[in-house]
Amino acid sequence: MMMSEPPAWLGAAGPRSDVILSTRVRFARNLEGSPFPTRATERELIEVRERIVAAIAKSNYLTNALVFRMEETDPAIRRVLVERHLVSSELAEGGPGGGAIVGEKEIVSAMVNEEDHLRLQCIRAGLQPVDAWRLIERIDCELERNLQYAFSSDWGYLTSCPTNVGTGVRVSVLAHLMGLVRSNRIAQVLGSVSKLGLSVRGFYGEGSAALGGFFQISNQTTLGQSEEDIAYTVERVAGQLVALELEARKELAENAGRQLADEVGRAYGILANARMISAEEVMELVSSLRLGTALGLIDSVDLGTVNRLLVITQPGHLTYSHGGEPTPEERDSARADLVRKELASCE
Amino acid sequence: MICEECNERPASVRYAEMADGHVRSWNLCEECARRKGMTASLAPFAGPLVNILKGLLDETAEQGATPAGPTCPECKLSYDEFRRTGKLGCGTCYDSFHSELKPLLRRIHGSTEHTGSVPSCLEADFDSRREVKRLRAELAQAVRGEEYERAAELRDLIRSKADGRAPAGDAEP
Repeated sequence: MMMSEPPAWLGAAGPRSDVILSTRVRFARNLEGSPFPTRATERELIEVRERIVAAIAKSNYLTNALVFRMEETDPAIRRVLVERHLVSSELAEGGPGGGAIVGEKEIVSAMVNEEDHLRLQCIRAGLQPVDAWRLIERIDCELERNLQYAFSSDWGYLTSCPTNVGTGVRVSVLAHLMGLVRSNRIAQVLGSVSKLGLSVRGFYGEGSAALGGFFQISNQTTLGQSEEDIAYTVERVAGQLVALELEARKELAENAGRQLADEVGRAYGILANARMISAEEVMELVSSLRLGTALGLIDSVDLGTVNRLLVITQPGHLTYSHGGEPTPEERDSARADLVRKELASCE
Repeated sequence: MICEECNERPASVRYAEMADGHVRSWNLCEECARRKGMTASLAPFAGPLVNILKGLLDETAEQGATPAGPTCPECKLSYDEFRRTGKLGCGTCYDSFHSELKPLLRRIHGSTEHTGSVPSCLEADFDSRREVKRLRAELAQAVRGEEYERAAELRDLIRSKADGRAPAGDAEP
């Protein structure tokens, strides 16, 4: 079975996993002499993909990698790849020439012929921008022996979109900032982060509708800074963000501990007993549960399980394990069954 | 608050993107948010950066900086088309649209010079070019500071590096 193990980054075993779900570092690269994917013919796309697949097969870090050629890949699997953060929704549309290469434990992977010929990425649990960058850098050096990249001495690695030119590096962290959301400090804190040359995006509920509280923070520019500086900047700023979030959580626990414990307990109660549940409700309740678990308000579940629930309850995963497109009722039932099973296995 | 997308249902989700200290956010109802793929997902790939680029491209279009615009001889992409899509067609586009892209890159990145890593096959040549550039800057400073002895040393160093590079560069495969 494809990727039966959950990805390593959901394991909550990384530094600062209580706040930072994952770190992703990606390098954008294009091959010298071939048009970028948006201007390439189907034949050119396939040729580029096969050259990249061949080069990756020679990499010591990706020896047992799975290769998905999008036009030959089942739509349900493509959705699983999106939900596991391995490919973008655009690539998952399945156009000819697209590809995904997935290394062991989904730590290292590559998108082929998305916006650029190659998007090499590393996803780690917790806050690890510098380590993730070092790993990708090593693999990139290996690939370079067999692939000649489009490169300009002035502007660095050339990319389809000028927002990626230069290093082609995007370092991002996925942060769970429920403490800051609850204490209404989120807009102010994220506003300051964005003044430091980083961009932030995410959803947050108004009032009671707390939709997850997950935010992605990444470097905004790619030209004029070294890869190392970018990785260290994101690591440093995210580290400060973690400190602010922990402070907000501590205050929340001190000032509204009873209400919070009640909310977390109720979230657990619903998740552990529901027979039908929507993806939105899971997201909202799991977010509460995650906050409660990190604060030690509930000990019947571990952070790794909580993280896993966020991904395996998504529609693509359910469709894939159902073995065909389920009806909405079947999907909500399957989701509730899965959540109950996961939580029961923790006890 | 009413959903900014459908202008009908009450908004319950706020989606925000922040860059350069500017915040853009939208209040959406659950249905519109879902339609935009914004709920119950960790949305790792949705990106604001292209929007920022589009804003900058629209600005330059309004200013009429390049009314017709050149065309890339390699992939036949016109600058006009790039301005519409925000996507370049091939590596040669960067040369073809060099003068148009330079101010744009400065606006996006605050820089027009790559200072990151270099493919290993170009490394030796690249390092020595960076070194010469650094020495030239140091030379200019020495001249301004009237440190003529140091300036003479630097000038000789630059000369020797420039002389040494050509044969070394030829020897590279």
